[in-house]
Parts: sequence; C-alpha cells; structure tokens
Amino acid sequence: MSLLQLIWSEIKAVLADKTIVITVFGGVLFYSILYPLPYLNQVPTKQQVVVIDHDHSSLSRKLIRDANASPKIEVITEVGSIDEAKRWIETGRAHGLLVIPADFRQDLLLGKGVTLSYGGDASYFLIYSAIVEGLVSAGLDVSKDVQRMGLLGKGENAVAVNQSLDVVKLNSIPAFNPSLGYTPYVVPGLFLLILHQTLLIGIGILGASQWKKQGYWRQVSPFKLICSRMAAFMLIYSLLSSYYVGYCYYWYDVSLQASLSQVWLLMLPFLLATCAAGIAFSSLFTRRDLPTQVLLLVSMPILFVSGFVWPTALIPEAVVAISQVVPAVPAIMAMLELNQMGASWQSIMPQWLQLWAMVVVYSGLAYWGISKRLKPAA
Amino acid sequence: MIKLLKREFTALQDDPWQLALISYIPLLSIIGLWLLFSAGLPRQLPVAVVDLDNSQVSRSLARQLQANPVTKPISYTGLPSAVEAMKQGEVYALLVLPYGLNRDLLTANPPIIDIRYNSQFLLVGKLLSSQLLATMADGLKPLGELKLLANGVAPERVAVSLSPISTQTTALFNRNTNYVGFLVPPVLIALLQLLAMMVFANSLNRELRWNTTEQWYELGLWKVIAAKVLFYTPIVLLHGSFILALIYLFLELPIAGSITVLLIAQTVMLLAVWLMVLTIFFALKDSARVISFCTAMFAPAFAFMGVTFPVHEMPVLAQWWRVIMPTSHYIETHIAVVSYGQDLQASLSQMICYWGFLLLLIPIAILARKGFPVTEESELSTLVKEQ
Repeated sequence: MSLLQLIWSEIKAVLADKTIVITVFGGVLFYSILYPLPYLNQVPTKQQVVVIDHDHSSLSRKLIRDANASPKIEVITEVGSIDEAKRWIETGRAHGLLVIPADFRQDLLLGKGVTLSYGGDASYFLIYSAIVEGLVSAGLDVSKDVQRMGLLGKGENAVAVNQSLDVVKLNSIPAFNPSLGYTPYVVPGLFLLILHQTLLIGIGILGASQWKKQGYWRQVSPFKLICSRMAAFMLIYSLLSSYYVGYCYYWYDVSLQASLSQVWLLMLPFLLATCAAGIAFSSLFTRRDLPTQVLLLVSMPILFVSGFVWPTALIPEAVVAISQVVPAVPAIMAMLELNQMGASWQSIMPQWLQLWAMVVVYSGLAYWGISKRLKPAA
Repeated sequence: MIKLLKREFTALQDDPWQLALISYIPLLSIIGLWLLFSAGLPRQLPVAVVDLDNSQVSRSLARQLQANPVTKPISYTGLPSAVEAMKQGEVYALLVLPYGLNRDLLTANPPIIDIRYNSQFLLVGKLLSSQLLATMADGLKPLGELKLLANGVAPERVAVSLSPISTQTTALFNRNTNYVGFLVPPVLIALLQLLAMMVFANSLNRELRWNTTEQWYELGLWKVIAAKVLFYTPIVLLHGSFILALIYLFLELPIAGSITVLLIAQTVMLLAVWLMVLTIFFALKDSARVISFCTAMFAPAFAFMGVTFPVHEMPVLAQWWRVIMPTSHYIETHIAVVSYGQDLQASLSQMICYWGFLLLLIPIAILARKGFPVTEESELSTLVKEQ
C-alpha cells in the first residue's frame, strides 16, 4: 500500500466514524460559537448600586449623579439603612452600595475630612471591580471639585489651581487588549486548547477502535502508519486551525500582531506534536469511550495551568513543571506572545524548540505503543 | 431492589475505569485544581520600572512599589528592553518615570508618569492597574504635603486639604478578595458535574457493552434506572462533600450558611444531571457517541455559571444555554448560602427552578420504549468472534 493510499484510507476511516466526525468537526464548529457566547458583551457595564444618603444635600446629590454618570454603575435606588441595602444585595437586585455620611456637605465646607464608604459584592470579582472603579472615580471627582472651590475661594487663579490639583498626570493604558474585552482575553488560548483536545480525542477514538480489529492498519509497518496518520490529521487540522486562528481570532476582536508565516510556523510543530502525542495516547486504549473521558478531565487543569488565566508565577512549581509535557501549554504561551503581544520570533524560540522536541519524543512513544498494539495479532 | 443494587455493585467491580472514576481520580483532580489556585492572593507580580530620572523622588516612587505586596519592581535601564520583557510576558506591567520628573515637580509643570499594563492577561492586568495607581498616588502624597506646608497651611490641616474625602472600600462577603474563595468552588463544581456525567454515562453504557439491555428490560426499565440513581448518587455526593469539606472546613474559608443545605442542593443538581444523561443515552444508544455528546454539552459549563463573567451581561442566547446546565442553578444556591447565609427554606424554593429538567422524563420514556436495535453488535460479541 503506498503512502498516499494509506493517507486516503486514514481519512476515509475518520470520516466513516460518526463519533470522530461529531467530536472533530462538530466539536470544533460548535465550540467556536458556544464558548465565547457568554462573553460577547465584553465588558460589564451598569452594575446596580444602591445608595444610602444620610446627608440629603446638594453635594450628596451631585455625588450620586456623578456615580450614575459612570458607564460602570447604575444607581437604582436610595434606601434608608445598610440593613436594607444588604437585603437588596442578598436578593440579587443590587451588587454594591454607597454610603454618604450625615453632614457630608457641611463638614466639607467647614474643612473637615469626611469618609465615603463603598461596598461591592465580592462573590463576583468582575462586578466588584467595576463597582469599585466606578465609585472611586466618582468620589475623586467630587473631592477635586471641593478642593478646586476651596482654592478658588482663597483667591488663587484658575490655572494655578488646576496645576496644584494635578501634581502628576498618571497615564495608565492597557496594552495588547486595549478594550479590556473578555473575548480577546479568553479566545486565543482557549481555542488552541479546543484544537488540542479535539485532535487528541479524534486520534484516540480512531486508535481505540482499531487495535482489536483487522484492517489496513495491520498491513503496514508502524512507522508508515504513524506517518500516514499524522499526515491525515494534519490535513484536517490545518483546515480547522485556519478557521480558528485565521477567522475566529479576527471575528472575536482578538488583537493580531504576527505575520501569517510566523503563525503558520508556530502551528506546525504544535499540530505535529499533538498528532504524535495523540497516536501515542491512543495506544493506551481499546475502549472507544475512554479517550474522551480522560481528556475531558484534564481540560480544565490544562487551561488554568497554561498561564493566561492565572499567572504562572503563582502556581506551585511542581505543577508547572509537570504541565510542560502537554503540547498545548507551550503552544498557548508562544501564540499569545507572538500573535497577541507582538513579541519577536527569537523570544518564542524556547517554546518552539520545546514543541519540536515533543514531536520527536511523542513520535518515539507512538512508534513503541503502536508496535506493541499491533504485534500480538500479527 | 437490593438485588438490583447488588447487580450495580458487581458491574462496578469488574470495570477498572469506573472504579477509578469514583475513587482516586476525583480526589486527584480536586486537589490538583485547588493546588493551581492555592496561592489565593496574587503577590509579587513582576512590574518593569524604567527610571529615566534617577532622582530622589523617582527612586522613592520605585521604593513604594517594593513596599506593595502585590508588585515586585524589576529595574530596566532602557525602555526597549522593558518593552521586550513585557511582550514576552516576563513582566505584567510597565512604569516609566520620565526624565526631568523631579525638576518638573519643582517648577510646577505636571510631569506624566506612564503606566502600561498587560490586559491580555486580564485578571493580572486589572489588578496591577489599580494597585499601581494607588501606589503612585500614595507615593506622591508627601510631595503635595510639602508644597502645602511651604504655602503656609497649618500642619494639622494638611491631610484634610490634600484629600478632603477619604474612602473606605469593603469587599462584601470575601473580605480580602481571596481567589480561592472566588474561583475554586465553581471550578470544582464544574468538575463534579463532569465526573457525575461520566460515572452515570459509563454505568448506562455498560449495559450496551456487555449486551445486557434485554436483561435490563426484563428486570424493569425504571427499576434498574432507580437502582443506578440510588447507587451512584451517594457516591458522587461523597466527592461533593469532600469539595465542601476541603474549602470550608480544611481551608476554613468563611461560610455564612450551613453545609447541609449545600449538600441538599448538590443532590438535586445530581438528579438533574442524571436526567440529562439518561435523555442523551436513550437518544443516541452508542457508548462513544453518548460520551462525546455529553462532553460537548457539559464541558463549557464553567463559562456559563456566571461567576467569572456576570450573568446579566450575557447575551440572551447564552442565558438560555445557561438554564439547561444544572451547575448554573446550583451555583446560585451555593453563593447565596455561602455569602448571604441563605437558609434551607429559601434554598428549597430556589430549587424549584429545576422543574424544567423533569420534562426530560417524557422524551426518556418515549425513547426508552423504542428499545435497543437488536442488530447492533456489542463490543463483547465482536471480541468473542475474533477469538
């Protein structure tokens, strides 16, 4: 059987197996829509906040209006006491509170310090940070207004007042993901992981269903079988990764910095290493329903250990070291650095070489595993 | 019934994968996932500091960063190397103290301090952004104080005129914004749902693999299902209680309500998972396809829970998908009990929202009545033939 014929029969075997088709094609397409679905609105806005106004002055009303003007906050109502505010939060009608103390305006005019209290429901961190950011900026604005009025009242000129209020300008700007959006944050890493997992599952199921049966796979040498299987899956996955890395990244507003050839060059060892790992992995199973289960269990750990959700520096070193054997882990980091953060090719060389080393090691393991599987019956 | 439970027990005994799934795999996964987040509070995150001024003021600002437990300043002599480090993810933020900072401050020309934070790593980036702003504001305060004193403001009035409004920010229900308390429960609950799905699907698939579907129907369709439910619910619940014990008893994270209520909520969640698995099983009737389909359904459950990204910000379609995930119903009860101390009665009325899952009994009954195709060869029979 020539190599081309073998590749063709591999592809036919994949397409004939409904389970693999569902996982590989169905899974990849389905997840490209389902996974980013919750995050499509990108940034949480208009978080409901209740106000406890003990002052009822012009200034406290101005503060409330300022807070309401922030895109992150929506003041929904005024309540009489903190207990009442607590009930609002507990029933999910509000997520934060702002307490304006009694004599707020009077104390400020007299030149006494006052304290504003903010609270946010920290059961949800994104909501909490939105509320705190919104309230803090509203508070700062009012504070500046008060200072400005005080200084102007003392007879200083307006330009000097502005200068003394802003001693230093802090120019804080998000880099790489300028909108602070959630899909550009989640999609690049997650989608590589989806490619990785579906590829492993696909090859795993194919292998698991073949070892105990007769077929073309027993008529060729293990080396040839590995080559053809890798070629067949590379063909399928070059199409699927073009859809993910090419189209979906663009569609979900991910920032793209690398050139086409660089991305292609990075995807090559990633897909090859994953294919080889998949073949080696498949030789562990003879039950078709097992590869999916094993990979499902490791999905979440791989996602969290890859370093973009939770900083690698905070993960125990042993866990990080173990995770380096998974092709997705260096690949995700390399892709983020190269394509999203605009690093140079030289700087991802370690990861790239690591992926090539994986290609070699996993191919060796695959050869060993397949020869073992195919021997007894041959 | 005892006979049927025994049948499940013997089935369990000669399935090593299933045995692993109900014993050490959950424990390893739970502990592994917790280890990932065990740091809890982000500390010592590397920040690049480019000090182009090298004055006493700029050095004191850099020292301020050293004093903040969240940031770990790393000095870079030039901007290009700092930018490169930022692009490689070696540092998560970049702070530039401009040339002439000290002189501009003395001559009342407001200088600009540039801060760039890595928002590709959103969680770290946002945290660093707020920490850097707060640290810089604190570091610049002495300068303002000095200026006021020089202008002849009385020392006791300096603090007030510098910031007439002080603020007190409280993170309700998670006082020190601990990521273990925030992230670990939903992650582990998502894991529990996956485990529950696999355990139950395997138990159903076994009937296909060993070709015992006829025996199943003879013993009574619903009786066997009831036996499976009775057998596996306590086992999976055991792992559920291990999760709760780990987080709220061993790590002693604050919990306002009672763990018993959470266990009741978990039981209801598991029943909902069973119903979904049963529906998929009777609809597909092929072991690998059942697993693949269930995986596709349940794998993204974490994203839809609404803990990391708020529910009311999700598009309508995502909210609909969320409703068919048992974990998203559970996590609401979980947060209510843990944070707000919701009692049993309120939790029970919250659980009424599971009613939709009962509708699945109809397709299960219809699909199950059709029985299994006789022609389909089980793996066992092919095995026998080969030998």
